[in-house]
Amino acid sequence: MSTSLLRRGVPGAQLAAHVHRRARGAFDVDEWGLDPELVSLANPVFALRWDIEVRGAEQLPAVGGAVLVFNRRFGISEPWVVARGIRQATGRFVRTVGVPDTAPIGPFVRRFGGVLDRTDEIAGLLRAGQLVGLPMSRDVRSRERVGHLEVERLEAALETGAPVVPVALVGRELGRAWTIVVGEPVPPVTDGGPLAAAELAEHTHRAAQLLLDESLPTSWWF
Amino acid sequence: MRVLITGMGGELGTRVANLLEADESVTEILGMDLFPPRRRIVRSEFHRVEPTDRRKAVRLVRDFDPEVILHLGVFEPHSRTSPSEARRGTAASAVSVLGAAAKCPSLQAIVVRSGIEVYGRSRGAPTRPDEAVPVDPTSPFGQSLAHVEQVATEAGDVAGVPVTAVRCAPIVGPSIPSPLGRYLRLPVVAVDPLSELPFSLLHQEDACTALVAAARAGHDGPLNVVGPGAVTASQVVLMGRKVPLPVFGPGWWAASAIAELQGAPLPPHSRELLIRGCTADGSLARAVLGIEPRSTHDVVTQLYRWDSVARPEPSGQVAPR
Repeated sequence: MSTSLLRRGVPGAQLAAHVHRRARGAFDVDEWGLDPELVSLANPVFALRWDIEVRGAEQLPAVGGAVLVFNRRFGISEPWVVARGIRQATGRFVRTVGVPDTAPIGPFVRRFGGVLDRTDEIAGLLRAGQLVGLPMSRDVRSRERVGHLEVERLEAALETGAPVVPVALVGRELGRAWTIVVGEPVPPVTDGGPLAAAELAEHTHRAAQLLLDESLPTSWWF
Repeated sequence: MRVLITGMGGELGTRVANLLEADESVTEILGMDLFPPRRRIVRSEFHRVEPTDRRKAVRLVRDFDPEVILHLGVFEPHSRTSPSEARRGTAASAVSVLGAAAKCPSLQAIVVRSGIEVYGRSRGAPTRPDEAVPVDPTSPFGQSLAHVEQVATEAGDVAGVPVTAVRCAPIVGPSIPSPLGRYLRLPVVAVDPLSELPFSLLHQEDACTALVAAARAGHDGPLNVVGPGAVTASQVVLMGRKVPLPVFGPGWWAASAIAELQGAPLPPHSRELLIRGCTADGSLARAVLGIEPRSTHDVVTQLYRWDSVARPEPSGQVAPR
């Protein structure tokens, strides 16, 4: 693709350049399957679907791994909203946990940053300096309560020393407007031992619930 | 240091021998294999041994009394031998050589060539396993490699020496006989774009460097030797300017049969790699061995460029009869 077309701002030249590069295989895919160029190609579609406001993004580390624990209600939009919102705010990709290892859904979602729900998978991502989005369990009955947090998954954070950051998501499944509120990292559990992960999960759950309470609009029904 | 190299007739074995020959601290090198070395060896002694000829292998190992064993006698299916010969040869070679080595009084370290195929790619298996993940091979080649590791560990326990299992990513390069390399060089390559997951590749030279470094390091345990980055099958085919042919489910049977007719049979572990991906965390090996394998993108580029293949220009002179 001629770079002069790009420089002259010819409509569609950017897209054509992307397509040309992909046709030559000149793009990157990481070991977990994330395809950053495909994500940027799909950006206009995501922009049509979600309008996301992010607060407190400065709480996230600029480099290195971190676990972002977020609430979800139905769990359809939330992983995409977290990934897109944090990427817009920080420029960093979020690897959301919970992709099924079944084709074609699994490989497709992996291209956008999805990863398997395994403790060793999360630990590997954290060691590689990635942001990992860890969803709490679904709570379809109430948008005011965060779900449960699987203790075992936080062992990856303890093992790697990565910070655990609570994140509250406020939005409707069929709506466009979403708000992401990033909280302060949960203080690390220093005494270790078998209870460390359980205590960390408890602190994180409490912090996420507090954050959600503060983030929900007071006049939600109106 | 006296070093015994099994599988010296292979591309890796011969290159490892050349690297060790350049090291003055290595006083003697003995090599054995089914095939003769692929390059000139300067000061190594080579013996042609059938993998199933246990008596000869045991006698050679005991007489040589090595300090370090580099067991590279691993046969990849459809590399230079048929799958059944590869499986039998790999098992027999490991048992006879490593079994004999366990009784050698001077033995200090065992290094075996293994592969990340030992982790397997069953449903839900970790995408990028590190060395702590238990082995769970899902292909015949992965099972062969896991067996070699097991035999080496037993031999190491008997001898009381460290055993390093060098788990290489699938090795390709300009001159190594590899079923994956042959398949990817076909003009039309079957891929499964809806299922494929990324895989990593290792250049043959990086594999040799890692094996030689492992012989010196004396690390006890497995090490994943994997370069940075990964690629998908469709991406590799596009990078090589080949034609990707989308194939799904039972279509792979026909695609494999056609590839075999074209001289590029696709063994199960290579097909698994193309569909389910195959990569691993190589950070421990980089720290322990001090190696920096080239990226998978570079390996693919070199696979298609064939830089090291000499193409002499015809001189125009005809030799007199």
